[in-house]
Amino acid sequence: MAAVGRIRSRLHTQLLQIYKISEGLQINLVLKARLHNQRKLMVRLCGYLNYNEQVHKCINNAFSLAFRCCRCVSAGSVREPQMSVHQQVDPYKLVGAELANLCVEIKQEVVTSKHELGEIAEYYFDGKGKCFRPMLIMLASKALNFHKTEEERLLDSQRRVAMIAEMIHTASLIHDDVIDESCIRRGKSSVNNIWKERKAILAGNYLLSVASMALARIGNKDVVQVLSQTIEDLVRGEFMQLGSKEDENERFKHYLTKTFKKTASLMANSCKAIAVLGELDEDLIGVAYEYGRNIGLSFQLVDDILDFTSCDTLMGKPTAADLRLGLATAPVLFASQEFPELHSMIMRRFMQDGDVERARELVAKSDGVSHARMMAEQHCKEAVRLLQTLKLSDSRRALEHIAYLVLNRQK
Amino acid sequence: MALFLSINYGRTGTFIFRNRDCLKLCTLNYHGLRVSLPSRFVSIFGTSRTSNWTKAVSDAEKLVGYPTSFMSLRCLLSDELSNVAIHIRKLLGTRHPLLKTARGFLDNGKQSLQTRGLVVLLISKAAGPSPNPSGICKDQDMISGIYPSQRSLAEITEMIHTASLIHKGVVNLEDIQPGDGSRKDMEFGNKLAVLSGDFLLASSCTALAKLNNTKVVEIMSKAIGNLMEAEFTALKNRSGNPVLPRNVKFSDWSEQTFLSSGCLLAEGCRAAMELANHSELVKDAAFTFGKNMALAQQMADDIGPFLDPNQGCTNISITSGPIIRHVESHPNDIDDKLFNSSEGIEPKQILKLVKSGSAIQECAKLCLEYGQRAIHSLDRFSDSDAKTALINIIRAATNEQRGVR
Repeated sequence: MAAVGRIRSRLHTQLLQIYKISEGLQINLVLKARLHNQRKLMVRLCGYLNYNEQVHKCINNAFSLAFRCCRCVSAGSVREPQMSVHQQVDPYKLVGAELANLCVEIKQEVVTSKHELGEIAEYYFDGKGKCFRPMLIMLASKALNFHKTEEERLLDSQRRVAMIAEMIHTASLIHDDVIDESCIRRGKSSVNNIWKERKAILAGNYLLSVASMALARIGNKDVVQVLSQTIEDLVRGEFMQLGSKEDENERFKHYLTKTFKKTASLMANSCKAIAVLGELDEDLIGVAYEYGRNIGLSFQLVDDILDFTSCDTLMGKPTAADLRLGLATAPVLFASQEFPELHSMIMRRFMQDGDVERARELVAKSDGVSHARMMAEQHCKEAVRLLQTLKLSDSRRALEHIAYLVLNRQK
Repeated sequence: MALFLSINYGRTGTFIFRNRDCLKLCTLNYHGLRVSLPSRFVSIFGTSRTSNWTKAVSDAEKLVGYPTSFMSLRCLLSDELSNVAIHIRKLLGTRHPLLKTARGFLDNGKQSLQTRGLVVLLISKAAGPSPNPSGICKDQDMISGIYPSQRSLAEITEMIHTASLIHKGVVNLEDIQPGDGSRKDMEFGNKLAVLSGDFLLASSCTALAKLNNTKVVEIMSKAIGNLMEAEFTALKNRSGNPVLPRNVKFSDWSEQTFLSSGCLLAEGCRAAMELANHSELVKDAAFTFGKNMALAQQMADDIGPFLDPNQGCTNISITSGPIIRHVESHPNDIDDKLFNSSEGIEPKQILKLVKSGSAIQECAKLCLEYGQRAIHSLDRFSDSDAKTALINIIRAATNEQRGVR
């Protein structure tokens, strides 16, 4: 007990120090390095405390603050995302009205005479989800439309793409949870936990078929093709998770392709779809696609990082889940460069007793998390850079802010 | 339990290997890309009772130029599914339904997976060239009187069916029985089933999108939705086994049959007409044909065990047409035991009960009626080999009670 108390007080001192560092905006690279070291130490300390939630939350806040300061200073040749206060536009507020309607509309779409099926299909559309994808898609629509017509409006067809993307995403979540046997999703009991595996799968298919019908009703062949591609990508990505690659370089490529297919493809292709519907020219369709792709990649990288650094209650789903499923994500892959013993663990998919704990420990000791974070930052910077092609509007600013939100989200 | 398993898969076909050599033969042919040879397989196992059907189908296959691959080869030979094929071996010795479904690809006997595709091809051919040829359906692209897009659609119809078959075989882990296999194996089986079903569905989504016709995408998506709804009716429990609700109506049977097989065939036929820009009347006729063919086929399958004294008892589904018909008209005949599905039903008792009334005769009559309606809907099409083949298939399905499956 006494030992725990000691660790706790040490942790407390560390935290204070970090806050001090972050408050003094005079951060330079030396300090950044120190910050990293401290982070490592703290993560290790947290390990002793079994990842106490409260402490963890504190640390995360402290670090995001500190890292934010770091980023402001360490800007090199690449232009920094503009994060100053006067430019910030709250993305959720800008499309709040449309988002509020989203769940209602989805519920109208999934209506069926089979009571239980309807119940499952609308289970996750309780209005408590983040609705990140629809928000992104609606804002991108507005920003692109403004660029073309000087009017920040949202076409009905574009709003429907946002809805369809959320439905496809949810359908894939329902299936993923059966495959991974997870019991919690979005902070509540998962569909497979309540209605069991068979019905979960069938209801997921139903949701997908409804999405596909809504997609067809938009009546644009190209848009149908673009979004059907994402469905295929989602499945192929899931297949890629089954295998791991022998070769180290290949392994990273495998991970990135998987990440694209599982997460970024939906965002990239939805952005492309709304650009097609807005009748923008080829170049801007490309910009929209690339913006979605970069945000998507960054989004998943941060997700993979949070799996190591966050705690269950905060995320609304179990953490350290990837390792337990045998998946090696960016932090582990980077850490394996420092600690080669991780290679064999990756190859046996962390199946042996103690592998998961050992891997977590090694990742905490290594620079894995910060490397992965740097990669995520890189993608966000690229996303913001791409946005500079568009005329300045509130929506564009909100899209820039999304890049910031993606990097700094806690859940 | 065993009884219920066989009932469960009765609707979709039971697949049994008579000996190992047949398995080899099938696999060889499959790897040699001669994928669809169900009629030949039937003749290997064949009984005289099935010969009409076999002949109708194999004659029809000749008409459509080359047999429908019973799933897109692109799909089967993809890395993803070949991987699954390797993994499925791990399920040997368990009772995971995926194993049965996978075997069904090789030996699908009577309830041939490819009938759906074949019917879509035949009706495309029977409807003839497009009245307003557009960019994607040019007459010179037709092979044996069928547009490439319609061939694609036939494959998609098969893929959707297979995907739903696979997904219906996902097992609820808490319901595993001691003899089924270890929990770990069943989990693994589920994983494979979910992934391979998803893969087929996703492939059909992209294949549909490539047809460049949003109406067709909508029609076929609706069919997928209907297939899923079929598993949430009052006639199915959560494991997909049939249950007989009190105050069951015959319309429940028709709805169940339409949702679980009719919709795909009917919408597939309609979509094939859509692809060739046929008139609304022709589209509706094709839809009616598909729907009634499915009803006729299901009814023929349901009646079969009641007429066959040898193997009838074990193959009776509690939600088969004759039983529902009987219960509807004699609600007091059925005591509580019958409704307790977990106990199982006593087949001999049921058989006796249903035979005491007129339900079997009524159902046989209905079966013929469905067949007639299907044939009648073809009046809109001018006479052709393809039309005759469709009529022969319907006749074969309704005239004989197709026993061995």
